[in-house]
Amino acid sequence: MLENIRGCNTLEKRTVTEINEKIRQGEVQVLTVEEMKKLVEEKGVKKAFKEVDVVTTGTFGAMCSSGAVINLGHSDPPIKIQRAWINDVEVAHTGAAVDLYIGAAQMSETKPFEYGGGHVIEDLISGKEVELRAIAYGTACYPRTKIETLISKDDLNQFILLNFRNCYQRYVCATNSNDEILYTYMGKLLSHFGNATFSGAGELNPLMNDPDYETIGVGTRIFLGGTQGYVIGEGTQHDPRNQMGTLMVRGDCKKMSAEFIRGATFTKYGTTLYVGIGIPIPILNEEMAKKVAIRDEEIFVSIVDYGVPRRDRPKLRKVSYKELKSGKIVINDRTVKVSPLSSLKKAKEIAEILKHWIAEGIFYLSAPVERLPLDTVFKPMRQTRDIIFVEALMRQATTCREDESIEKVAKRIITNSVNHIVVVDAQEKLRGIITSWDITRAVAENKKSLTDIIIRKVITTTPNEPVEAAARKMTQHNISALPVINKEGKVLGIVTSEDVAKLIGGK
Amino acid sequence: MTRAILKFSKEITSEPITSQIIIEHKTPINILTAHIDQQGGEILVEIPSAQAEKIIEAFRKKGVTVEPHKPVKVDKEKCISCGACFSLCPVNAIKINEDFSVAFNDEKCLGSACRLCVDTCPVRAIKVGV
Repeated sequence: MLENIRGCNTLEKRTVTEINEKIRQGEVQVLTVEEMKKLVEEKGVKKAFKEVDVVTTGTFGAMCSSGAVINLGHSDPPIKIQRAWINDVEVAHTGAAVDLYIGAAQMSETKPFEYGGGHVIEDLISGKEVELRAIAYGTACYPRTKIETLISKDDLNQFILLNFRNCYQRYVCATNSNDEILYTYMGKLLSHFGNATFSGAGELNPLMNDPDYETIGVGTRIFLGGTQGYVIGEGTQHDPRNQMGTLMVRGDCKKMSAEFIRGATFTKYGTTLYVGIGIPIPILNEEMAKKVAIRDEEIFVSIVDYGVPRRDRPKLRKVSYKELKSGKIVINDRTVKVSPLSSLKKAKEIAEILKHWIAEGIFYLSAPVERLPLDTVFKPMRQTRDIIFVEALMRQATTCREDESIEKVAKRIITNSVNHIVVVDAQEKLRGIITSWDITRAVAENKKSLTDIIIRKVITTTPNEPVEAAARKMTQHNISALPVINKEGKVLGIVTSEDVAKLIGGK
Repeated sequence: MTRAILKFSKEITSEPITSQIIIEHKTPINILTAHIDQQGGEILVEIPSAQAEKIIEAFRKKGVTVEPHKPVKVDKEKCISCGACFSLCPVNAIKINEDFSVAFNDEKCLGSACRLCVDTCPVRAIKVGV
């Protein structure tokens, strides 16, 4: 009788210890999370729970908050490094003499936007020699002030991947309403909603399959970069209430493979690191079997307009990972193509490798010693100074009509002592812009009509745009003023680089 | 169909060379992309293969530099199959397969005349003009 009751209990629940015993005996039943989802669909939760002990998840995405701690060992005479560079990428020195942190997003000083900390980590993992350069102020115990040497991973005492934010549970889908291409951390976004991008592995993502963080926590052993690593806590910006949990992870880079740790570049944005993570999820009870059966069509994210350079960007609508993975989504009644940014192929590969490790008895599960928080809030930055908007800085624009003479416009430039004349129509709508330089050119090239010199492609701003964003537009396009317009294209005023400079200089 | 890059120098941009050749040879020439202004530029054209040799010769005679069209080249070793390039392609030459590997269709690719995908590759696996 007692035996019977125990028998029933083991059917309803299993423990990590029991699963590890099964791994030891080569009897563990392990599936990739994809296979498990199919099994649940075919046979139901109850049967799937009975048949399967562990499922494996995977993700391979770019995460800038990644990096590696290295210890160089001491030089002779010794140096207490003040600043250091590896392959011209500055590495952080915030600790003892020869401990350094290679941050993935730090860019090379000689090849910025092409080579960065992520690439240094990849190169070291691949066994390449890299160039270390360091300077110091010199102390009694560390007299050396300069060092240059070559190092490879075998020369390092420690080479530990220490990523403070990885493995986003899910992320947004990015698009761009702007009339120019945007280069972002979400990739290249074509103008006028010409395309979209998304990141995250959806139903393959580890946290998405354990949304209450029951089995993934501090001390969970994981696949990290091709070897075994650990979850060491929640990651930065961990946002469990919005199903946007993150992980902090560590692992031994010396045992990793560049196949699963890749330096990367997002054009005109910066460098980063692609990190391969796979997490086993023990199916401890039926509830867990049900949770890991979640499908892409049940996981939704917002389509966000990156054309608006603000913290709270406009959200267009919700979209499921199923739609995203189909390669096409509808934005404003138009079908556009959508790119994944994380590699779903690699994510599947990782889940498959982890499955084999467990089945072959070379990977054992570990129960978390502490669970990830479920209630932390991801707060915005405290800003003690008000944001200044274009509205506060704009002034009345000096305007003209297209049919006016060059001479008349030139006179207006002098009398109003301005450099820019905004060309408008009868409804005050923007038609173009003319600068004093254009007038000079007209004289030099003997142009007779204003229409020959009007610049038609005008970069504009709006009253509610932050001054920083407007200033960036001017720098980017190498121009010195922006007409301020409303939604209908009516000219409300003008903001010039001089006004911006005065604002910054006056503070 | 044969694809070719036609390069026009500053001196000949104002002449209606392409139209003249279309009329003279009674051959339809499809202009796929054009990046050209008063300073010169290039266009990517598609010519019926049977007439290609003759047409290319005709362009050369009028001072146009003709170069063979090359699709982008993908370093399979480097490619991580992230798919970042996929949504940039204007001619659907990039496909994401069922297993999420990324495939390039050389026949459709506009190569150096487009380049939209080249700088989207996070691991710089896409090269053009090689």
